[in-house]
Amino acid sequence: MTQQSSGFFNWINSRLPIVNTFERHLSKHPVPKKVNFWYMFGALASVVLIIQIVSGIWLMFGYENTEEGAFASIEYIMRDIEYGWVIRYMHTTGASMFFAVVYLHMFRGLLYGSYHKPRELVWVFGMTIYLVMMAEGFLGYVLPYGQMSYWGAQVIISLFGAIPYIGESLEIWVRGDYYISGATISRFFALHVVALPLILIALVFMHLVALHEVGAGNPEGVDIEKHLDEDGVPLDSVPFFPYKVLNALVAIGIFGIVFSIIMFFFPEGGGYMLELANFEEANPLSTPEHIAPVWYYSPYYAMLRAVPDKLGGLVVMGAAIAILFVVPWLDRSKAASIRYKGILSKIAMTIFIISWLMLAWLGTVPVTALRTTLSIIGTVIYFAFFLLMPIYTSIEKTKPVPERL
Amino acid sequence: MKKFLLLALLCIGSQEALAAGGAACGDYGECDSFNPELNNLESLQLGALTFINHCYGCHSLKYSRWGRIAQDLDIPEDIFTDNLVFGAKVKLGDRMTGSMKPEVSETWFGIAPPDLTLVTRLHGSDWVYTYLRTFYEDSSKPYGVNNMVYPGAAMPNVLASMQGQQILTCKDVPIIASNGGVRRDEMGNDITEEKCGYLKTIEGSGDLSVQEFDEVIFNLVNFMTYVGEPSRSDRERMGWYAVLFFIVFTALAYLLFREYQKDYH
Repeated sequence: MTQQSSGFFNWINSRLPIVNTFERHLSKHPVPKKVNFWYMFGALASVVLIIQIVSGIWLMFGYENTEEGAFASIEYIMRDIEYGWVIRYMHTTGASMFFAVVYLHMFRGLLYGSYHKPRELVWVFGMTIYLVMMAEGFLGYVLPYGQMSYWGAQVIISLFGAIPYIGESLEIWVRGDYYISGATISRFFALHVVALPLILIALVFMHLVALHEVGAGNPEGVDIEKHLDEDGVPLDSVPFFPYKVLNALVAIGIFGIVFSIIMFFFPEGGGYMLELANFEEANPLSTPEHIAPVWYYSPYYAMLRAVPDKLGGLVVMGAAIAILFVVPWLDRSKAASIRYKGILSKIAMTIFIISWLMLAWLGTVPVTALRTTLSIIGTVIYFAFFLLMPIYTSIEKTKPVPERL
Repeated sequence: MKKFLLLALLCIGSQEALAAGGAACGDYGECDSFNPELNNLESLQLGALTFINHCYGCHSLKYSRWGRIAQDLDIPEDIFTDNLVFGAKVKLGDRMTGSMKPEVSETWFGIAPPDLTLVTRLHGSDWVYTYLRTFYEDSSKPYGVNNMVYPGAAMPNVLASMQGQQILTCKDVPIIASNGGVRRDEMGNDITEEKCGYLKTIEGSGDLSVQEFDEVIFNLVNFMTYVGEPSRSDRERMGWYAVLFFIVFTALAYLLFREYQKDYH
């Protein structure tokens, strides 16, 4: 029996590189032996991606992508399909948790300089994933066709109209109609469930391939490749499997607790994850008093509103995302990790976090004169953090980075 | 860490509290708080009875099905059909699409009465609970009543016979000083001023006392909260098992992780 199965295994392996792949990417893939909890969010992001794909497929069993049927089909899933509510809340909670873990993952990158040479491409692929996720989240938010779906889509699609010359035609092209209608829903549905997930999966694959080529970073910013044993394996590393897999399992367990608490006890997330106005079917004749995005877009929405001119707002919002792509070339510091960077970087990082959180809050509340001023200040700080980075990271005195982890 | 804390705060905010929000109940101010009792079947059954008898004539529950309510509220089908389902053609599997044609109701009320399946999720149960108890007499309005939570509501006070006449009155209230205490004169008596806009029910004008009426509304809103999300009590029950599962999972994963960690420490 054993011989037979190993014969079968060999037959497969000589045609499909199972052993090689397992060794290269898991059992012999070296990862830094000392990392902290910040290094768990990448694994968690892939877990949420799987949750979203699986729950999304199940939602499609009951969802109807028409103007008349979309809203009612969500209630059909919530009420008439056995445990449909589990699938639906899993998907809505998953959307928010996806952004939560990705934001924490990105923040880890900023904190420990994960984008430093040779990991620039890993960062760029990651940022592209984030950009696609934003589009994916927006498209998905329109599908239930509630009041906030409709009016949120109205606001976002009208941004295309601000582009000179081609704006108006572009707006109609995106909507597929002169106003948001069944045509918009069916194209958003196709993009949300087929096109963008395919792109997302391809990008995640590239992100991981690039990461495995250059190896993972660590909170010290130590280059573990400098000290190798006789087999060429970094001395400060352990194989990914089983050591880091077990590490990830603990993280997944804790994440599961948080996810379950939100999903089963606070699925609306206080109106930040499922907006209450979306419990009413889209009504083109009645504008909600206050149109707010879900929490994960709010910092950028605050920037959009901070600029009085629509095109200007769009440019600022676009630039805020675009600037993230070039961070690897803005940071001139000799030290990757914040632990060994100078005082200027630490101050800049602290102010940046505070202003980002302030913008996140401002994006969810109605506008007042004071809040607009705060949004402008927050936006200026946001850009200053990145644009001044080449200066403050090159003039400050860094601490010596240790040789070994 | 700070980001993480804020995210946690955003996520764990109470839904009901946010649904109510600050001065969410219009002229009434803060909504009265409402804590649903979704496992109290008697309350839900009484609420269903009130809804069908007094609300369903105009308002549909179009995403809900008759049979699901009978099943969830533990009402035997024959009793349910005889007492709650009006119309010989209605089957238990049908959706509760209402008994009034929209074009007729639009002529009568100027606006079609909204479907109420999700009203407690849209406005919050607190809001609905407060709204239904704050109708007052106002002869300037077409139905002779107005509402404090939703001024100008195009709805008559359907439950007026139970509640009786409710009017707006003025009363003397103590003036609060800037330090937060009550202002007093030299004799130590409270200084008061007349303020208006207080609800008062004229005693004996309705079939029920204020407490009894509040209870009727409690049961009604309890039922409406249930209809808004019929799986909610299941959800909260299952949640404990899910959390427990992940606690055990984490503990086992941690033990295994600790054992393997000895290899390289």
